[in-house]
Amino acid sequence: MKIGIPRALIYWKRPYFWENFFENLGFEVLLSPKTNKEIVEIGVKISDPETCFSNKVYFGHLKWLEGKCDLIFVPRLRRNEEKLEYCPKFFGLPDLAKILVKTKILTKTFDEGKEEFEKSLLKLGEKLGKKKEEVEKAFREALEKEREIKEKQEKESLEKLKTNSKKIVLISHPYNLYDEYVNLRIKERLEKLGVIPILIEEIPLTSRISTNNSQIFTNVQEDSCSNSCKFESYNISDIRAQIRENSQNPNISDIRGQIRENSRWPSFHWEFAKEMMEKIDEVLKYKIDGAIEISSFACGCDAVLKEFVEKKFKENKIPFLYLVIDEHTGEAGFQTRLEAFIDTIT
Amino acid sequence: MKVTFPYWGNYTVAFELLAKKLNLEVVPPERTTAKTIEKGTKIAPEMYCFPLKVNLGNFLEAIERGADTILMPTALGGSCRLRYYPFVQEKVLKENGKNVNFIVFDQSLLDIFSKLKKLSKASFFKMIEATIFTFKALSIIEKLERKAWYLRPREIEKGDTDKVLLSAFKRMREIKSFSELLRFEREALKELEQIRIERKKVPRVGIVGEIYTVCDHAVNFEIEKKLGNLGVEVHREMSLLYHLKKKIFFSDFFIQRKIKPYLGSTVGGHGRDAIYEMLKYVKEGFDGVIQLLPAYCMPESTVRPILEKIHQETGIPFLSLSLDEQVAEAGIDTRIEAFIDVVENYFKRRQLHKKP
Repeated sequence: MKIGIPRALIYWKRPYFWENFFENLGFEVLLSPKTNKEIVEIGVKISDPETCFSNKVYFGHLKWLEGKCDLIFVPRLRRNEEKLEYCPKFFGLPDLAKILVKTKILTKTFDEGKEEFEKSLLKLGEKLGKKKEEVEKAFREALEKEREIKEKQEKESLEKLKTNSKKIVLISHPYNLYDEYVNLRIKERLEKLGVIPILIEEIPLTSRISTNNSQIFTNVQEDSCSNSCKFESYNISDIRAQIRENSQNPNISDIRGQIRENSRWPSFHWEFAKEMMEKIDEVLKYKIDGAIEISSFACGCDAVLKEFVEKKFKENKIPFLYLVIDEHTGEAGFQTRLEAFIDTIT
Repeated sequence: MKVTFPYWGNYTVAFELLAKKLNLEVVPPERTTAKTIEKGTKIAPEMYCFPLKVNLGNFLEAIERGADTILMPTALGGSCRLRYYPFVQEKVLKENGKNVNFIVFDQSLLDIFSKLKKLSKASFFKMIEATIFTFKALSIIEKLERKAWYLRPREIEKGDTDKVLLSAFKRMREIKSFSELLRFEREALKELEQIRIERKKVPRVGIVGEIYTVCDHAVNFEIEKKLGNLGVEVHREMSLLYHLKKKIFFSDFFIQRKIKPYLGSTVGGHGRDAIYEMLKYVKEGFDGVIQLLPAYCMPESTVRPILEKIHQETGIPFLSLSLDEQVAEAGIDTRIEAFIDVVENYFKRRQLHKKP
């Protein structure tokens, strides 16, 4: 049996996980290709005109998969393990997918406020006629692989954060950051302009554990400033070990409360919003030269988030650029704005 | 301290009465106009939804008239951006040099109760009295509105109903005691009964959609009046009391069971209710459904394809109107008139089929 997974939107929430999971279960997985012009055009044509651009891209991917596989996997993501909600537009995706495509939709609700993730997975496996042990094994393997990739990414971005060259944080949802057609290869463009782009998604959250860690990091940063060669010899895994030690610190919750208080944002009920704000706090501990927020047109959540993200960077006197992308975004205009922004920070 | 709150259709009267009852000095918001919306839009975040911009316009006007404290409710449940309105509004107003106090009501009726009690320093019994008074006022407002839906398409002298309603709501603002309120209800209903009408069958149209836009006649260009004058009987399930009742009796659970084939979970706001109501209207033999939503409203734009699917399956005429600061009244008029033509044809065709 062939299971199709659209390479957009929720796929990027956990890239590699789903495809690995289904492959481990012994299914053939068909990933839709990277976003291209045709996919976007189809998506825009078939979806509601007022839904957000990312959703339109997703529907384009769905339509591409139609007829090419036996099942299309569209999970319904409700709440994560912290009982925080995903974007409300994710809630209705399977139902909208059923309207749009004729291929059968494979769906499962993941509401970790009610049911553990693993249990939901078992039920999904049951739907596909797989045994409990098989699903568990597939889940573990997929998780392991996901963790490896994530750790590698975080390691790289930490190294990037500590370099001396100009750094720019890219703030957005993973489906805007990783989809190169959608964000008009912003990463590449920034690199060409001589700055290092850092994706907010890949920044490890250490502030959650203990504020002591940030001291370690600032020390490292100072060292690296004085001697960049010295920095290279610094072993990241050592730092990680230290973090783990510190995490046994009893007054973690106090520190967590403090962080909450210091950063004046309303307690968001969206998981991505909370994560993003915490990661921004983390990033602000390093020397950052600028920040760019990318938002897809008509994204309701970003309209809320942007206000607080912008405030945060303005308070810290860091230049901030807000870019809205949609199907009409022209490359030339985009490039000009980026160049102008880079000029202001150099 | 002078308090103000956002304008919201005829409910504004009830909120004003509540504030007066609690001896708060109140600057009642004035009816939303194109100018209000323009003022609000100027300072509001561009991508935020339309009601926030209108609210900001209301606040700015009230601040000009001396208000310094804003009472702002957040969403009573549901994943909607209304949750963050007060934070964003406060930020935006501060950035524009308006230093006002925000009193934010959290997501429960109890919180509204306790915060109002603290604010007005009223006794517990006074608060209970005020609560009952407000709920009665709200129910009278909804009752009068509901009567008007029936009367408008049937009145012989066009405009009678609205004349009565206008003067009634004006008088209602002066009410001070509970007995006066009851007397007012009797009188207003009597006045409405005296309107001369022609009893006939008219096409019926149901209004579904986002609660603020369907209930506020100022932002939806008085769509109920318009439809009524075009000879259509309007029905609208969604109202403030309906929403509160739903919260108290957990009817979301039953609604979810009914709409299961179309939508498997909540999508925030009143997304599920829109589907539920549309299915209900189809079942009850209505001749059309109009969906009202603020442009880019997340729940409503998510369910719109589903509503369109119901429309295709059942053939009931369906019109979706998204409202924002750029929508002009003339455009809405044209679309409604064209839609009413479709509704009338649908109505006549069904009448013909019924007879033989």
